[in-house]
Amino acid sequence: MSEDQQKGAKASDPLEPFRAMRDAYLDAMAKTMVEAVNTEAYAQASGAMLEGCLTTAAPFREAMEKSISQTLEHLSLPSRQEVAVLAERFTHVEMRLDDMDAKLDRIVKMLGREGRKPEPSEANAAKPAVGAKTVKPAAGLAGATAKRTAVRRRMVRPKPTGRTRK
Amino acid sequence: MEHAEVFPGTIEVLEARLRTLSRVMTTKAPIAQTPKELVWALNKSKLYRYIPVVPQEDRYRVPLLLIFALMNRPSILDLRPGNSFVEFMLSRGYDVYLLDWGAPGLEDQYLKLDDYAIDYLPRAIRKVKAISGVEEFSMLGWCIGAILTTIYAALRPDDGLRNLLLLTAPLDYGNRDGITFARWTDERYFDVDRVLAAFGNMPGEMIDYGAKALKPVENYITNYLKLWDNLDDPRVVESWHAMNTWVTDNIPMAGGAWRQLIVELYRHNRLIKNELMVRGERVDLSRIRASLLTVIAQGDHITPPCQSEALLSKVASRDTELYRIPGGHIGIMAGSAAPRTTWPHIDQWLSARSR
Repeated sequence: MSEDQQKGAKASDPLEPFRAMRDAYLDAMAKTMVEAVNTEAYAQASGAMLEGCLTTAAPFREAMEKSISQTLEHLSLPSRQEVAVLAERFTHVEMRLDDMDAKLDRIVKMLGREGRKPEPSEANAAKPAVGAKTVKPAAGLAGATAKRTAVRRRMVRPKPTGRTRK
Repeated sequence: MEHAEVFPGTIEVLEARLRTLSRVMTTKAPIAQTPKELVWALNKSKLYRYIPVVPQEDRYRVPLLLIFALMNRPSILDLRPGNSFVEFMLSRGYDVYLLDWGAPGLEDQYLKLDDYAIDYLPRAIRKVKAISGVEEFSMLGWCIGAILTTIYAALRPDDGLRNLLLLTAPLDYGNRDGITFARWTDERYFDVDRVLAAFGNMPGEMIDYGAKALKPVENYITNYLKLWDNLDDPRVVESWHAMNTWVTDNIPMAGGAWRQLIVELYRHNRLIKNELMVRGERVDLSRIRASLLTVIAQGDHITPPCQSEALLSKVASRDTELYRIPGGHIGIMAGSAAPRTTWPHIDQWLSARSR
Protein backbone atom coordinates (compact mmCIF):
# COMPACT_ATOMS: atom_id res chain seq x y z
CA MET A 1 0.00 0.00 0.00
CA SER A 2 1.44 3.35 -0.99
CA GLU A 3 1.94 6.23 1.44
CA ASP A 4 -0.85 8.15 -0.24
CA GLN A 5 -3.20 5.24 0.20
CA GLN A 6 -2.22 4.90 3.85
CA LYS A 7 -2.91 8.59 4.36
CA GLY A 8 -6.18 8.08 2.57
CA ALA A 9 -6.98 5.13 4.78
CA LYS A 10 -6.35 7.14 7.93
CA ALA A 11 -8.33 10.04 6.58
CA SER A 12 -11.21 7.80 5.53
CA ASP A 13 -11.46 6.27 8.98
CA PRO A 14 -14.32 8.14 10.64
CA LEU A 15 -12.94 7.23 14.07
CA GLU A 16 -9.48 8.70 13.45
CA PRO A 17 -10.03 12.15 15.04
CA PHE A 18 -11.58 10.55 18.08
CA ARG A 19 -9.10 7.72 18.49
CA ALA A 20 -7.24 9.09 21.49
CA MET A 21 -10.49 9.91 23.21
CA ARG A 22 -11.92 6.53 22.31
CA ASP A 23 -8.87 4.66 23.63
CA ALA A 24 -8.88 6.60 26.88
CA TYR A 25 -12.57 5.84 27.34
CA LEU A 26 -12.09 2.15 26.56
CA ASP A 27 -9.17 1.90 28.98
CA ALA A 28 -11.26 3.36 31.76
CA MET A 29 -14.18 1.13 30.85
CA ALA A 30 -11.93 -1.95 30.73
CA LYS A 31 -10.68 -1.29 34.26
CA THR A 32 -14.20 -0.76 35.53
CA MET A 33 -15.44 -3.94 33.87
CA VAL A 34 -12.55 -6.04 35.22
CA GLU A 35 -13.44 -4.84 38.70
CA ALA A 36 -17.13 -5.43 38.07
CA VAL A 37 -16.73 -9.04 36.95
CA ASN A 38 -14.55 -9.77 39.96
CA THR A 39 -17.33 -9.20 42.48
CA GLU A 40 -19.67 -11.48 44.40
CA ALA A 41 -22.62 -9.74 42.76
CA TYR A 42 -21.42 -10.63 39.26
CA ALA A 43 -20.66 -14.21 40.28
CA GLN A 44 -24.13 -14.50 41.77
CA ALA A 45 -25.81 -12.94 38.73
CA SER A 46 -23.95 -15.10 36.21
CA GLY A 47 -24.69 -18.20 38.29
CA ALA A 48 -28.39 -17.29 38.40
CA MET A 49 -28.41 -16.67 34.65
CA LEU A 50 -26.83 -20.05 33.95
CA GLU A 51 -29.26 -21.74 36.32
CA GLY A 52 -32.15 -20.03 34.55
CA CYS A 53 -30.93 -21.15 31.13
CA LEU A 54 -30.50 -24.74 32.26
CA THR A 55 -33.93 -24.80 33.92
CA THR A 56 -35.62 -23.35 30.83
CA ALA A 57 -33.84 -25.62 28.40
CA ALA A 58 -34.16 -28.85 30.43
CA PRO A 59 -37.75 -29.84 29.41
CA PHE A 60 -37.06 -29.14 25.72
CA ARG A 61 -33.81 -31.04 25.82
CA GLU A 62 -35.42 -34.02 27.53
CA ALA A 63 -38.30 -34.06 25.05
CA MET A 64 -35.90 -33.81 22.13
CA GLU A 65 -33.69 -36.61 23.45
CA LYS A 66 -36.71 -38.85 24.04
CA SER A 67 -38.06 -38.18 20.59
CA ILE A 68 -34.73 -38.80 18.88
CA SER A 69 -34.07 -42.02 20.77
CA GLN A 70 -37.57 -43.30 19.89
CA THR A 71 -37.05 -42.45 16.23
CA LEU A 72 -33.69 -44.18 16.17
CA GLU A 73 -35.20 -47.23 17.85
CA HIS A 74 -37.96 -47.41 15.22
CA LEU A 75 -35.35 -47.21 12.50
CA SER A 76 -33.24 -49.90 14.21
CA LEU A 77 -30.36 -47.47 14.53
CA PRO A 78 -28.10 -47.21 17.56
CA SER A 79 -28.64 -44.32 19.91
CA ARG A 80 -25.98 -41.77 20.78
CA GLN A 81 -25.45 -43.48 24.12
CA GLU A 82 -24.97 -46.86 22.46
CA VAL A 83 -22.40 -45.41 20.06
CA ALA A 84 -20.66 -43.80 23.02
CA VAL A 85 -20.49 -47.16 24.83
CA LEU A 86 -19.04 -48.72 21.69
CA ALA A 87 -16.44 -45.97 21.41
CA GLU A 88 -15.51 -46.52 25.04
CA ARG A 89 -14.95 -50.21 24.32
CA PHE A 90 -12.74 -49.30 21.38
CA THR A 91 -10.64 -47.19 23.71
CA HIS A 92 -10.25 -50.14 26.07
CA VAL A 93 -9.11 -52.31 23.17
CA GLU A 94 -6.66 -49.58 22.13
CA MET A 95 -5.27 -49.55 25.65
CA ARG A 96 -4.78 -53.29 25.62
CA LEU A 97 -2.96 -53.01 22.31
CA ASP A 98 -0.79 -50.25 23.75
CA ASP A 99 0.01 -52.46 26.76
CA MET A 100 1.04 -55.23 24.39
CA ASP A 101 3.18 -52.78 22.47
CA ALA A 102 4.89 -51.82 25.72
CA LYS A 103 5.50 -55.47 26.58
CA LEU A 104 6.91 -56.08 23.12
CA ASP A 105 9.24 -53.13 23.59
CA ARG A 106 10.47 -54.59 26.86
CA ILE A 107 11.03 -58.01 25.30
CA VAL A 108 12.97 -56.49 22.41
CA LYS A 109 15.02 -54.51 24.87
CA MET A 110 15.79 -57.61 26.92
CA LEU A 111 16.70 -59.57 23.80
CA GLY A 112 18.94 -56.71 22.77
CA ARG A 113 20.74 -56.91 26.10
CA GLU A 114 21.05 -60.68 26.02
CA GLY A 115 22.08 -60.72 22.40
CA ARG A 116 24.84 -58.13 22.57
CA LYS A 117 28.37 -59.31 21.91
CA PRO A 118 29.96 -60.25 25.24
CA GLU A 119 33.26 -58.79 26.35
CA PRO A 120 36.11 -61.34 26.26
CA SER A 121 36.15 -61.59 30.06
CA GLU A 122 32.36 -62.09 30.12
CA ALA A 123 32.57 -64.73 27.41
CA ASN A 124 34.98 -66.81 29.43
CA ALA A 125 33.00 -66.42 32.59
CA ALA A 126 29.67 -67.45 31.11
CA LYS A 127 29.90 -70.17 28.50
CA PRO A 128 26.58 -71.28 27.04
CA ALA A 129 25.11 -74.50 28.29
CA VAL A 130 25.07 -77.48 25.94
CA GLY A 131 21.99 -77.38 23.71
CA ALA A 132 21.17 -73.80 24.55
CA LYS A 133 19.74 -71.80 21.66
CA THR A 134 21.73 -68.91 20.30
CA VAL A 135 19.85 -65.67 20.62
CA LYS A 136 20.17 -63.56 17.52
CA PRO A 137 21.33 -60.08 18.40
CA ALA A 138 18.35 -57.80 18.26
CA ALA A 139 18.37 -54.22 17.18
CA GLY A 140 18.60 -51.51 19.82
CA LEU A 141 15.49 -50.25 21.52
CA ALA A 142 15.07 -47.23 19.39
CA GLY A 143 15.74 -49.08 16.16
CA ALA A 144 13.36 -51.92 16.85
CA THR A 145 10.60 -49.69 18.04
CA ALA A 146 11.14 -47.32 15.20
CA LYS A 147 10.73 -50.17 12.74
CA ARG A 148 7.39 -51.18 14.25
CA THR A 149 6.32 -47.62 14.67
CA ALA A 150 7.17 -46.84 11.08
CA VAL A 151 4.41 -49.19 9.97
CA ARG A 152 1.85 -47.11 11.81
CA ARG A 153 3.42 -43.75 11.28
CA ARG A 154 2.06 -41.46 8.72
CA MET A 155 3.19 -38.07 7.77
CA VAL A 156 0.94 -35.23 8.80
CA ARG A 157 0.94 -32.62 6.15
CA PRO A 158 -0.48 -29.19 6.84
CA LYS A 159 -3.91 -28.96 5.31
CA PRO A 160 -4.46 -26.14 2.87
CA THR A 161 -6.95 -23.79 4.43
CA GLY A 162 -9.98 -23.25 2.28
CA ARG A 163 -11.48 -19.83 2.23
CA THR A 164 -15.17 -19.69 2.71
CA ARG A 165 -15.48 -16.42 0.93
CA LYS A 166 -13.27 -14.65 -1.55
CA MET B 1 -15.70 13.63 -7.44
CA GLU B 2 -14.16 16.39 -5.40
CA HIS B 3 -13.62 14.17 -2.36
CA ALA B 4 -11.47 11.83 -4.43
CA GLU B 5 -9.02 14.65 -5.08
CA VAL B 6 -8.85 15.58 -1.43
CA PHE B 7 -8.31 11.96 -0.34
CA PRO B 8 -6.71 10.17 -3.29
CA GLY B 9 -7.79 6.55 -3.57
CA THR B 10 -10.15 6.74 -0.62
CA ILE B 11 -12.77 4.47 -2.10
CA GLU B 12 -10.18 1.92 -3.18
CA VAL B 13 -8.57 1.96 0.24
CA LEU B 14 -11.88 1.50 1.99
CA GLU B 15 -12.76 -1.32 -0.35
CA ALA B 16 -9.40 -3.00 0.30
CA ARG B 17 -9.86 -2.66 4.05
CA LEU B 18 -13.34 -4.15 3.96
CA ARG B 19 -12.08 -7.00 1.81
CA THR B 20 -9.31 -7.70 4.32
CA LEU B 21 -11.75 -7.48 7.21
CA SER B 22 -14.14 -9.86 5.52
CA ARG B 23 -11.33 -12.31 4.80
CA VAL B 24 -9.96 -12.47 8.34
CA MET B 25 -13.40 -12.66 9.90
CA THR B 26 -14.75 -15.42 7.67
CA THR B 27 -11.76 -17.64 6.94
CA LYS B 28 -9.27 -19.67 8.92
CA ALA B 29 -5.59 -18.83 8.79
CA PRO B 30 -3.14 -21.63 8.03
CA ILE B 31 -1.81 -22.48 11.50
CA ALA B 32 0.23 -25.43 12.85
CA GLN B 33 2.23 -25.71 9.65
CA THR B 34 5.49 -27.19 10.95
CA PRO B 35 5.92 -30.68 9.44
CA LYS B 36 5.29 -33.48 11.90
CA GLU B 37 4.54 -37.16 11.99
CA LEU B 38 1.97 -39.02 14.01
CA VAL B 39 3.84 -41.56 16.14
CA TRP B 40 1.22 -42.72 18.66
CA ALA B 41 -2.50 -42.41 19.22
CA LEU B 42 -4.90 -43.48 21.93
CA ASN B 43 -8.58 -42.57 21.84
CA LYS B 44 -8.57 -38.88 20.80
CA SER B 45 -5.02 -38.26 21.98
CA LYS B 46 -2.26 -38.07 19.43
CA LEU B 47 1.48 -37.84 19.88
CA TYR B 48 3.35 -36.02 17.15
CA ARG B 49 7.04 -35.83 16.52
CA TYR B 50 8.17 -32.74 14.65
CA ILE B 51 10.60 -33.39 11.83
CA PRO B 52 14.01 -32.27 13.10
CA VAL B 53 15.76 -29.59 11.11
CA VAL B 54 19.15 -29.95 12.75
CA PRO B 55 21.43 -32.95 11.99
CA GLN B 56 21.32 -35.63 14.67
CA GLU B 57 24.91 -35.03 15.82
CA ASP B 58 24.07 -31.39 16.53
CA ARG B 59 20.80 -32.06 18.33
CA TYR B 60 20.30 -32.15 22.08
CA ARG B 61 20.16 -35.66 23.48
CA VAL B 62 17.13 -35.21 25.75
CA PRO B 63 13.80 -34.98 23.89
CA LEU B 64 11.24 -32.33 24.74
CA LEU B 65 7.56 -33.21 25.16
CA LEU B 66 5.00 -30.39 24.97
CA ILE B 67 1.72 -30.70 26.88
CA PHE B 68 -0.97 -28.10 26.40
CA ALA B 69 -4.32 -27.55 28.11
CA LEU B 70 -7.32 -29.82 27.68
CA MET B 71 -9.77 -27.17 26.51
CA ASN B 72 -7.84 -25.59 23.63
CA ARG B 73 -5.98 -26.83 20.61
CA PRO B 74 -2.21 -27.10 21.06
CA SER B 75 -1.68 -25.37 17.72
CA ILE B 76 -0.91 -22.22 19.71
CA LEU B 77 2.55 -23.73 20.21
CA ASP B 78 3.03 -23.78 16.47
CA LEU B 79 0.95 -20.78 15.50
CA ARG B 80 2.36 -19.74 12.14
CA PRO B 81 5.62 -19.96 10.24
CA GLY B 82 8.01 -17.38 11.58
CA ASN B 83 6.12 -17.11 14.84
CA SER B 84 6.09 -20.65 16.16
CA PHE B 85 7.60 -21.91 19.40
CA VAL B 86 7.92 -25.40 17.94
CA GLU B 87 9.75 -24.06 14.90
CA PHE B 88 12.06 -22.07 17.18
CA MET B 89 12.92 -25.06 19.35
CA LEU B 90 13.52 -27.27 16.32
CA SER B 91 15.90 -24.71 14.90
CA ARG B 92 17.76 -24.71 18.21
CA GLY B 93 18.33 -28.45 17.92
CA TYR B 94 15.68 -30.03 20.13
CA ASP B 95 13.84 -33.24 19.38
CA VAL B 96 10.30 -31.95 19.88
CA TYR B 97 7.18 -34.01 20.57
CA LEU B 98 3.66 -32.72 21.11
CA LEU B 99 0.83 -34.51 22.87
CA ASP B 100 -2.52 -33.35 21.50
CA TRP B 101 -5.35 -34.43 23.82
CA GLY B 102 -7.95 -34.03 21.09
CA ALA B 103 -11.59 -33.10 21.50
CA PRO B 104 -13.48 -35.39 23.90
CA GLY B 105 -16.73 -36.91 22.78
CA LEU B 106 -19.72 -38.05 24.80
CA GLU B 107 -17.93 -41.33 25.47
CA ASP B 108 -15.13 -39.41 27.21
CA GLN B 109 -17.33 -37.47 29.62
CA TYR B 110 -16.08 -39.43 32.61
CA LEU B 111 -12.38 -38.97 31.83
CA LYS B 112 -10.65 -37.40 34.81
CA LEU B 113 -7.32 -35.77 35.43
CA ASP B 114 -6.35 -39.22 36.76
CA ASP B 115 -6.86 -40.77 33.34
CA TYR B 116 -4.89 -38.12 31.53
CA ALA B 117 -2.01 -38.11 34.03
CA ILE B 118 -1.82 -41.84 34.74
CA ASP B 119 -3.09 -43.58 31.61
CA TYR B 120 -2.44 -41.31 28.67
CA LEU B 121 0.63 -39.31 29.61
CA PRO B 122 2.89 -42.22 30.72
CA ARG B 123 2.02 -44.14 27.57
CA ALA B 124 2.93 -41.19 25.39
CA ILE B 125 6.15 -40.76 27.35
CA ARG B 126 7.00 -44.40 26.84
CA LYS B 127 6.67 -43.84 23.12
CA VAL B 128 8.85 -40.72 23.24
CA LYS B 129 11.54 -42.71 25.03
CA ALA B 130 11.27 -45.60 22.63
CA ILE B 131 11.53 -43.45 19.53
CA SER B 132 14.30 -41.21 20.82
CA GLY B 133 16.19 -44.09 22.40
CA VAL B 134 16.81 -41.94 25.47
CA GLU B 135 15.46 -42.76 28.91
CA GLU B 136 15.44 -39.13 30.05
CA PHE B 137 13.09 -36.46 28.78
CA SER B 138 12.01 -32.87 29.35
CA MET B 139 8.38 -31.90 29.66
CA LEU B 140 6.77 -28.51 29.14
CA GLY B 141 3.26 -28.07 30.51
CA TRP B 142 1.18 -24.99 29.87
CA CYS B 143 -1.97 -24.03 31.79
CA ILE B 144 -3.99 -27.19 32.53
CA GLY B 145 -1.14 -29.03 30.83
CA ALA B 146 1.03 -27.79 33.70
CA ILE B 147 -1.38 -29.34 36.22
CA LEU B 148 -1.18 -32.68 34.43
CA THR B 149 2.62 -32.60 34.15
CA THR B 150 2.93 -31.62 37.81
CA ILE B 151 0.69 -34.50 38.87
CA TYR B 152 2.70 -36.87 36.70
CA ALA B 153 6.03 -35.54 38.00
CA ALA B 154 4.90 -36.05 41.58
CA LEU B 155 3.50 -39.52 41.02
CA ARG B 156 6.26 -40.85 38.77
CA PRO B 157 9.47 -39.14 39.91
CA ASP B 158 11.63 -42.08 38.79
CA ASP B 159 10.31 -42.25 35.25
CA GLY B 160 13.17 -40.29 33.72
CA LEU B 161 11.76 -36.77 33.89
CA ARG B 162 14.85 -34.58 33.88
CA ASN B 163 13.47 -31.11 33.23
CA LEU B 164 10.03 -29.78 34.04
CA LEU B 165 8.93 -26.48 32.54
CA LEU B 166 5.65 -25.03 33.74
CA LEU B 167 4.05 -22.09 31.98
CA THR B 168 1.29 -20.12 33.71
CA ALA B 169 0.60 -23.10 35.95
CA PRO B 170 -2.66 -22.87 37.95
CA LEU B 171 -1.58 -24.94 40.95
CA ASP B 172 -2.48 -22.85 43.99
CA TYR B 173 -6.06 -21.67 44.55
CA GLY B 174 -5.58 -20.30 48.05
CA ASN B 175 -5.92 -16.61 47.23
CA ARG B 176 -9.62 -16.66 46.36
CA ASP B 177 -9.92 -12.90 46.12
CA GLY B 178 -7.21 -12.79 43.49
CA ILE B 179 -8.68 -15.50 41.27
CA THR B 180 -11.85 -14.41 39.49
CA PHE B 181 -12.62 -17.94 38.26
CA ALA B 182 -12.58 -19.15 41.86
CA ARG B 183 -15.26 -16.60 42.71
CA TRP B 184 -17.42 -17.52 39.72
CA THR B 185 -17.21 -21.25 40.37
CA ASP B 186 -17.99 -20.98 44.07
CA GLU B 187 -20.45 -23.66 45.09
CA ARG B 188 -23.00 -21.02 46.11
CA TYR B 189 -23.27 -19.79 42.50
CA PHE B 190 -22.14 -22.54 40.19
CA ASP B 191 -23.66 -26.02 40.13
CA VAL B 192 -21.03 -28.03 38.30
CA ASP B 193 -23.03 -31.27 38.38
CA ARG B 194 -26.10 -29.59 36.89
CA VAL B 195 -24.03 -28.26 33.99
CA LEU B 196 -22.41 -31.63 33.36
CA ALA B 197 -25.75 -33.43 33.61
CA ALA B 198 -27.00 -31.17 30.83
CA PHE B 199 -23.97 -31.29 28.55
CA GLY B 200 -21.86 -34.31 29.53
CA ASN B 201 -18.65 -32.46 28.80
CA MET B 202 -18.02 -28.80 29.56
CA PRO B 203 -18.84 -27.08 26.25
CA GLY B 204 -15.96 -25.22 24.63
CA GLU B 205 -18.17 -22.20 24.04
CA MET B 206 -18.87 -21.84 27.75
CA ILE B 207 -15.19 -22.11 28.61
CA ASP B 208 -14.42 -19.55 25.93
CA TYR B 209 -17.08 -17.21 27.27
CA GLY B 210 -15.66 -17.57 30.78
CA ALA B 211 -12.14 -16.75 29.63
CA LYS B 212 -13.28 -13.75 27.60
CA ALA B 213 -15.60 -12.43 30.29
CA LEU B 214 -12.62 -11.95 32.60
CA LYS B 215 -11.65 -9.00 30.41
CA PRO B 216 -14.83 -8.20 28.50
CA VAL B 217 -13.84 -4.87 27.00
CA GLU B 218 -10.47 -6.11 25.73
CA ASN B 219 -11.88 -9.32 24.30
CA TYR B 220 -15.15 -8.10 22.84
CA ILE B 221 -14.29 -4.55 21.77
CA THR B 222 -10.62 -3.55 21.86
CA ASN B 223 -9.51 -6.70 20.08
CA TYR B 224 -11.63 -5.85 17.03
CA LEU B 225 -10.76 -2.17 17.13
CA LYS B 226 -7.09 -3.13 17.08
CA LEU B 227 -7.74 -5.05 13.89
CA TRP B 228 -9.71 -2.18 12.36
CA ASP B 229 -6.97 0.31 13.21
CA ASN B 230 -4.30 -1.86 11.61
CA LEU B 231 -6.06 -3.20 8.56
CA ASP B 232 -3.39 -1.59 6.39
CA ASP B 233 -0.57 -3.39 8.16
CA PRO B 234 -0.26 -6.94 6.78
CA ARG B 235 1.92 -8.07 9.68
CA VAL B 236 -0.70 -7.15 12.27
CA VAL B 237 -3.52 -8.51 10.14
CA GLU B 238 -1.89 -11.90 9.58
CA SER B 239 -0.94 -12.18 13.23
CA TRP B 240 -4.49 -11.27 14.30
CA HIS B 241 -5.94 -13.72 11.77
CA ALA B 242 -3.81 -16.60 13.07
CA MET B 243 -4.62 -15.84 16.68
CA ASN B 244 -8.33 -15.48 15.93
CA THR B 245 -8.28 -18.82 14.13
CA TRP B 246 -6.87 -20.45 17.25
CA VAL B 247 -9.11 -18.59 19.70
CA THR B 248 -12.32 -19.49 17.87
CA ASP B 249 -11.43 -23.18 17.57
CA ASN B 250 -12.97 -24.19 20.89
CA ILE B 251 -13.11 -27.73 22.16
CA PRO B 252 -15.02 -29.12 25.14
CA MET B 253 -13.33 -30.37 28.28
CA ALA B 254 -14.08 -33.88 29.53
CA GLY B 255 -16.76 -33.65 32.21
CA GLY B 256 -14.89 -35.66 34.82
CA ALA B 257 -11.75 -33.55 34.48
CA TRP B 258 -13.77 -30.33 34.58
CA ARG B 259 -15.56 -31.43 37.74
CA GLN B 260 -12.23 -32.26 39.39
CA LEU B 261 -10.77 -28.94 38.35
CA ILE B 262 -13.65 -27.02 39.91
CA VAL B 263 -14.28 -29.11 43.00
CA GLU B 264 -10.85 -30.48 43.96
CA LEU B 265 -8.75 -27.54 42.85
CA TYR B 266 -10.74 -24.30 42.63
CA ARG B 267 -12.87 -25.05 45.68
CA HIS B 268 -10.65 -27.17 47.92
CA ASN B 269 -7.17 -26.33 46.64
CA ARG B 270 -6.06 -29.91 47.14
CA LEU B 271 -3.07 -30.00 44.78
CA ILE B 272 -0.82 -27.47 46.48
CA LYS B 273 -1.82 -28.84 49.91
CA ASN B 274 -0.63 -32.32 48.84
CA GLU B 275 -4.14 -33.64 49.40
CA LEU B 276 -5.12 -34.48 45.83
CA MET B 277 -5.77 -38.18 45.34
CA VAL B 278 -5.20 -39.61 41.89
CA ARG B 279 -6.13 -43.26 41.40
CA GLY B 280 -5.72 -43.85 45.10
CA GLU B 281 -2.28 -42.22 45.23
CA ARG B 282 -1.72 -38.95 47.03
CA VAL B 283 -0.05 -36.34 44.84
CA ASP B 284 2.89 -35.29 47.01
CA LEU B 285 4.65 -32.36 45.37
CA SER B 286 7.73 -32.91 47.51
CA ARG B 287 8.46 -35.97 45.40
CA ILE B 288 9.23 -33.79 42.38
CA ARG B 289 12.99 -33.83 41.84
CA ALA B 290 13.35 -32.75 38.23
CA SER B 291 14.98 -29.44 37.38
CA LEU B 292 12.15 -26.94 37.42
CA LEU B 293 11.50 -23.74 35.50
CA THR B 294 8.26 -21.94 36.33
CA VAL B 295 7.26 -19.15 33.97
CA ILE B 296 4.81 -16.59 35.28
CA ALA B 297 2.98 -14.07 33.13
CA GLN B 298 2.72 -10.92 35.21
CA GLY B 299 -0.41 -9.69 33.42
CA ASP B 300 -2.15 -13.06 33.42
CA HIS B 301 -5.85 -12.75 34.27
CA ILE B 302 -6.66 -16.43 33.68
CA THR B 303 -3.89 -17.80 35.90
CA PRO B 304 -2.83 -14.93 38.15
CA PRO B 305 0.82 -15.10 39.32
CA CYS B 306 -0.30 -16.07 42.85
CA GLN B 307 -1.36 -19.46 41.46
CA SER B 308 2.15 -20.43 40.34
CA GLU B 309 4.39 -18.92 42.98
CA ALA B 310 4.03 -21.44 45.80
CA LEU B 311 5.21 -24.50 43.90
CA LEU B 312 8.94 -23.84 44.24
CA SER B 313 8.77 -24.09 48.01
CA LYS B 314 6.89 -27.39 47.78
CA VAL B 315 9.15 -29.44 45.53
CA ALA B 316 12.34 -31.32 46.33
CA SER B 317 14.09 -30.13 43.17
CA ARG B 318 17.41 -28.44 43.90
CA ASP B 319 17.63 -26.79 40.53
CA THR B 320 14.71 -24.37 40.31
CA GLU B 321 13.99 -21.03 38.69
CA LEU B 322 11.03 -18.70 38.73
CA TYR B 323 10.92 -16.53 35.63
CA ARG B 324 8.52 -13.61 35.56
CA ILE B 325 7.72 -11.96 32.30
CA PRO B 326 5.39 -9.13 31.32
CA GLY B 327 2.42 -10.30 29.29
CA GLY B 328 -0.78 -12.29 29.41
CA HIS B 329 -1.70 -15.95 29.64
CA ILE B 330 -1.26 -16.62 25.94
CA GLY B 331 0.77 -13.57 24.94
CA ILE B 332 3.95 -14.70 26.71
CA MET B 333 4.26 -17.64 24.31
CA ALA B 334 2.41 -16.49 21.22
CA GLY B 335 2.68 -12.71 21.34
CA SER B 336 4.98 -10.63 19.17
CA ALA B 337 7.53 -10.28 21.98
CA ALA B 338 7.74 -14.01 22.73
CA PRO B 339 10.50 -14.78 20.17
CA ARG B 340 12.69 -12.17 21.88
CA THR B 341 11.82 -12.89 25.49
CA THR B 342 10.18 -16.14 26.60
CA TRP B 343 11.47 -18.49 23.92
CA PRO B 344 15.16 -17.60 24.21
CA HIS B 345 14.94 -17.89 27.99
CA ILE B 346 13.39 -21.34 27.76
CA ASP B 347 16.05 -22.35 25.25
CA GLN B 348 18.84 -20.98 27.40
CA TRP B 349 17.54 -22.79 30.50
CA LEU B 350 16.84 -26.05 28.71
CA SER B 351 19.98 -26.22 26.57
CA ALA B 352 22.23 -26.51 29.62
CA ARG B 353 20.09 -29.38 30.90
CA SER B 354 19.47 -31.36 27.73
CA ARG B 355 22.88 -32.77 26.87
